[in-house]
Amino acid sequence: MKRFLTLITSVLVLAACSEWDPVLTCRYEEPPVAEPVVMTPTHTIKQLCQLYKGRPLTISDDIIIAGKVSTTDEPGNFYKSFYIQDETAGIEIKVGKNSLYDDYHPGQTVYVSCKDLTIGMYGYKSGNYGGQGMVQVGFSDPSGAYETSYIESPLIIASHIYCGERGEKVQPVVVSASQLPGKDDDQRTNQFVGKLVTLEGLQYDREVFALFYPVSSLPHTSEDPWNRVFLSDDGTWGINTWAMSKAKFVEYLASGVWDDAEVGSGSTHYGPITGSPREYLTPVDAANFGSDADLSYKQIMAKYATAYSISHYFSMGSKQIQIRTSGFSKFGDREIPADVYSGARKINVTGILTVYQGSVQLVVNSLDDFTDTEGNSLYQ
Amino acid sequence: MKKLAIILIAALACLSLSAQETPGGGVEAKVVSRIGRAPIAGATVELITAGSTVASQTVGHDGHFRFDAVPRGSYSVKASADGYREAIVNVVIEGYVRDIMLVTMTPAEDFAATVEDMELEDRDFLDSGYDDSPTMLFGTNDPYTKVAGFGFSAVRFKTRGYNSETQDVLLSGVRLNDAITGYSPYSLWTGLNEAMRSKETTIGMESSAYAPGGVNGVTNIFASPSEVRPGWRMSVLTNSASYRLRLMATYASGRLDNGWSYAFNVSARLGGNDWVQGVYYRSFAYYFGMEKKIGDEYTLSFVTFASPGERGAQNASTQEVYDLMGDNMYNSNWGYQNGKVRNARVRRTFEPVTILKYVWTPSDEFKLSNTLLWRTGKNGYTALDWYNAQDPRPDYYRNLPSYAYMEDEDYNRSNLDKSEWNAEAWSLHIPDYYNFQHINWERLYAVNRNSEGGRAKYVQEERHVDQNDVHFVQNFSWNPGGSWTVDGGWNFRINRSENYKKLADLLGGQYFLDVDSFAERDFAIDPRKQQNDLVYYIAHGEPRKVYVGDKYGYDYMACVNSVRAWGSASKTVGPLKFNLAASVGDESFWRVGLVRKGLFPKNSKGKSDVASFFVWSVKGAASWDLPAGQRVDANVGYFNDAPTFSQSFISPRTRNDLMGGLTTRKTFSADLNYHISRNGYNARATVFYTSIGDQTDLMSFYDDSQNSFTNFAMTGIDQRHMGIEIGAGIPLPVEGLSLAGALSWGEYIYTSTPHMVQTIDNSSEVIRTQEVLYWDKHPVFRKVDGQVDYDFDDNPIVERWEKHYVPSTPQLAAELALNYNIKYWFFELNAQYFAHSHLDMNPVYRTDYALRGSDRDPLIIEDMCSQEEFAPAFLLNLSIGKSWYIHGDQLGFSLNAYNLLNNTGVKTGGYEQTRLISSAEKDRYYRFDSKYFYMPGFNYMLNVYFRF
Repeated sequence: MKRFLTLITSVLVLAACSEWDPVLTCRYEEPPVAEPVVMTPTHTIKQLCQLYKGRPLTISDDIIIAGKVSTTDEPGNFYKSFYIQDETAGIEIKVGKNSLYDDYHPGQTVYVSCKDLTIGMYGYKSGNYGGQGMVQVGFSDPSGAYETSYIESPLIIASHIYCGERGEKVQPVVVSASQLPGKDDDQRTNQFVGKLVTLEGLQYDREVFALFYPVSSLPHTSEDPWNRVFLSDDGTWGINTWAMSKAKFVEYLASGVWDDAEVGSGSTHYGPITGSPREYLTPVDAANFGSDADLSYKQIMAKYATAYSISHYFSMGSKQIQIRTSGFSKFGDREIPADVYSGARKINVTGILTVYQGSVQLVVNSLDDFTDTEGNSLYQ
Repeated sequence: MKKLAIILIAALACLSLSAQETPGGGVEAKVVSRIGRAPIAGATVELITAGSTVASQTVGHDGHFRFDAVPRGSYSVKASADGYREAIVNVVIEGYVRDIMLVTMTPAEDFAATVEDMELEDRDFLDSGYDDSPTMLFGTNDPYTKVAGFGFSAVRFKTRGYNSETQDVLLSGVRLNDAITGYSPYSLWTGLNEAMRSKETTIGMESSAYAPGGVNGVTNIFASPSEVRPGWRMSVLTNSASYRLRLMATYASGRLDNGWSYAFNVSARLGGNDWVQGVYYRSFAYYFGMEKKIGDEYTLSFVTFASPGERGAQNASTQEVYDLMGDNMYNSNWGYQNGKVRNARVRRTFEPVTILKYVWTPSDEFKLSNTLLWRTGKNGYTALDWYNAQDPRPDYYRNLPSYAYMEDEDYNRSNLDKSEWNAEAWSLHIPDYYNFQHINWERLYAVNRNSEGGRAKYVQEERHVDQNDVHFVQNFSWNPGGSWTVDGGWNFRINRSENYKKLADLLGGQYFLDVDSFAERDFAIDPRKQQNDLVYYIAHGEPRKVYVGDKYGYDYMACVNSVRAWGSASKTVGPLKFNLAASVGDESFWRVGLVRKGLFPKNSKGKSDVASFFVWSVKGAASWDLPAGQRVDANVGYFNDAPTFSQSFISPRTRNDLMGGLTTRKTFSADLNYHISRNGYNARATVFYTSIGDQTDLMSFYDDSQNSFTNFAMTGIDQRHMGIEIGAGIPLPVEGLSLAGALSWGEYIYTSTPHMVQTIDNSSEVIRTQEVLYWDKHPVFRKVDGQVDYDFDDNPIVERWEKHYVPSTPQLAAELALNYNIKYWFFELNAQYFAHSHLDMNPVYRTDYALRGSDRDPLIIEDMCSQEEFAPAFLLNLSIGKSWYIHGDQLGFSLNAYNLLNNTGVKTGGYEQTRLISSAEKDRYYRFDSKYFYMPGFNYMLNVYFRF
């Protein structure tokens, strides 16, 4: 028996210790709380934006910016990115992960070490109908689809984006119509762009913009007008919600309010969605739809329904503001109050002030950002 | 294969002519020890026919015996002697005294026991990984099973390609295959090798005295205390591929003079291993049994056992991950927490089984057993669960280099720089990077601590299937004389299994909310639909908060009732023996939802429709004992079995919907066998054919084309299994040296085009109902200079059709073992070869919609539909054993060294993922990378035991 015990003891000693942890204790102590990072910024956000000269730039210097997180993706209206802002400007950090609010909390200081990251612009369009977009921080995008891509890689994120101290949420700045950016403004020229602002006294213009892809898994760029349906230039198309989930999209579609919407984009228009690809398209294009080619576009849209973003147009004095809301946000299906929808009542809206092709857009964080002119929430 | 059949039939015909002559005769031989061929003085030899001993003798010093004036017919010669294992030789007596030369007996306490020990130890390891169900049994004298049962298990070989559920595993005469899944139930008694050692196994469709049996044999583990080897036995075992240490103690009283027998067996299996980080055991086991024989007629026994404990599980990853880690045994289930390895996936079980058995033996001809068995307890399996948070799995596909960059531009992944960052995160194995390669527990805690209001985002859940399984079985065995044997019985089973998950760890959070995040995404402004527990929400106006130990997510009972009666009659006519067996029964199952789910308020709670099936089977066998220890037998059977609960409900966690078109599984099987057992030679050759029809399968996955979680139900899956098995044990001229070999060579394929119905999980809306076009085969097109060749009608020319195989088992497996036994030493060196093993297929890739673009480019069909065949594997293993007798006690050891060539590239299984990658032009789909399991490289097992 002694030999047995000796053998057992030697086996225990020989075995690697770590593997015995769960065996012996069956418990794990909680990890220590991480200390907030403190860094010294080298640039303000505006200074960083000023490095952007019309084409994407991959930073090769040890540039550090700092700012407070001004957005949350918890309600889902921001997607895979968050904004930070300092005194000078606000900028979107294209992290490329979901549920960023778990790691980067509103009001928390975040440091971005920009070396190896890329700054680029989203939403620039040249010409009379175009204008500036937003300077963003992301990663290089060799595909050329955008000026920056999502950072995404866990190692890049961990070695470039650092969490500092938690703090009070960012207080929005009230911006007047005259302070709003013009078509040639961005973070470099307007101090409110990219920041959390409140616009007061907005009145609904009863106009929407929406773009649907009948089969979103098929090509749907401007080169593929056969897979695009626009709702624009002509009232609200019956849409009285801030955006639309998949279920809401199907509901609108079935109601018939979009039956006159046309398939196509740019200069190519095929006909209303009640027609079919077989009817409208060349056999080659129709073949993209496979056995669905004989269904009407309307039926196809129902079959491959998904959530969609909507832009609602509001006016603030002489300026027009788009309030753009994602169909994946939790409040996308909430209706715009009837008196607001009719244009009878003005509202105040808080959100990140952005520019897209020279147009002013406001992206809200949550339903709480819609208030009446007295500052009371529209959705109690 | 045809040739083999012709040879067997010709041999039969010739031998039958020579077997029909003179009226009586005799048999003689010498009883010798297998070691040194020494005569065994004092051995008892019995001549048995039709279950009755017709003559017996005690042999003298020369070991010789002779029976004269024996009527012509088929007999067994049974030799028994103290210190040796029983030996039985079949012999046909004709009109003369047949000299069968030697009856070889094996010493009971040396290498044979050592070998058996090693085999049983190995069984223990089979529940360490992804599959709890070993599909091969051993412990018989069959020369094929002796080799293959132990030797082939390393690559998860499946006998004749059959699934685990085809194998009937009985404990004390009660069929214990899982009521919900049909899987064999070994995990219930894992760690109790000694108590469960005694068993009787049939192969294929051989008749059994305990059950009607199917196509894949019946194993009845006796589990009664009187069957446990008497005396004390203690052992300590260490191995490098599963757990570090096993301690085991056994005691059995044997049958005492007062009719009592009792036995216990306890064990502990502890620690990790050298190959898979995160896998560990903290498992214990106990067995206690007591039995009383009352007079000659009655035996009453009580047995209870369980294998409580926990063990960390292993996970499959893609080859890209294995290559980055430089380790095919990488396990993504664990991470460091405060410097300690913590596995997120832990199986925790405590499922005690209690058996009460009463046997009545009023005469030598009749025996009736009545068994009541109850299985209960908990069976949990932990996993990470998360709400509104990033996927915490380190090998999530977006974290890999291939997600950023692929050489083929059509994948639209062109960011080489990002890809290199990802590669760096995986390929530098330094502490700073551990959190990229393993679960980052620190982050999960940080997220939960910082969450507003303390709502946990990441938790550890424990999925439970807690069974209450009650069986009553009544079996009889009757020998009415006239060389008849009749067995039969009936059994009744009630199974109520509660399926739920409970919160195992809040990981630093204060509570978790019982809501469905998928529903929340689709029905964002309808909080009712988001509730897993709608009743609670309606009563309290808010979702239920969940704390550690609370049930959440889903909760339902799987209910199964089955009743079955069976009978088996055998008749011996001279050298011929016939058997006919049949069974009839009813199997019913239904679901009872215990919570009302917001998505399905009308059919999530309460009782579902009852699926009920009339089941039956019939099989026949004939065997012919031939001279010189030869036998030929043939079996044929047809089985009409119910689908299992797990194959029948579309989404049992959410609702009561049964699959449409449910029907019984139909199996036809036939085999022909030749055996020879003579002078230490022992061989079997088998040809078999089996067709299985009307199987169903279910899976749930995220469908990229729908942006939704979906359920995918397949019906009409047919398979065909045919092949040969050969096993042989051959003594060599050198004393103590012998050869053993086994070969299994088959073709196990799919033979039908199943039908599938796909539904959205959140709405039960049917989105597709169509055939899985290329499930059983796919075309390979003719190519000229690498381009597909077309006919005059512009159709691509099909050169051939490639079959699709039943996966996860080698269709060719062979082993040759050289054994050397001398002076209580035992050596074995064996070489194994495995080939034609295939990856488990995902039906989605073989449907019309996943093959988009194939009308334009037929190569897409080849690309999406082909089935991966694993590379062949060659393995060498070595075993050494020795035992010593010290004052009547026995001390022994066995050392097994597996995979001596340290072959770390042997795939043992895996699966295709279900998701699709859209091409750059969105004009076709690509597959996600498959995931694999590998066999460990060189590993060892050392077992030291002491018996007294």
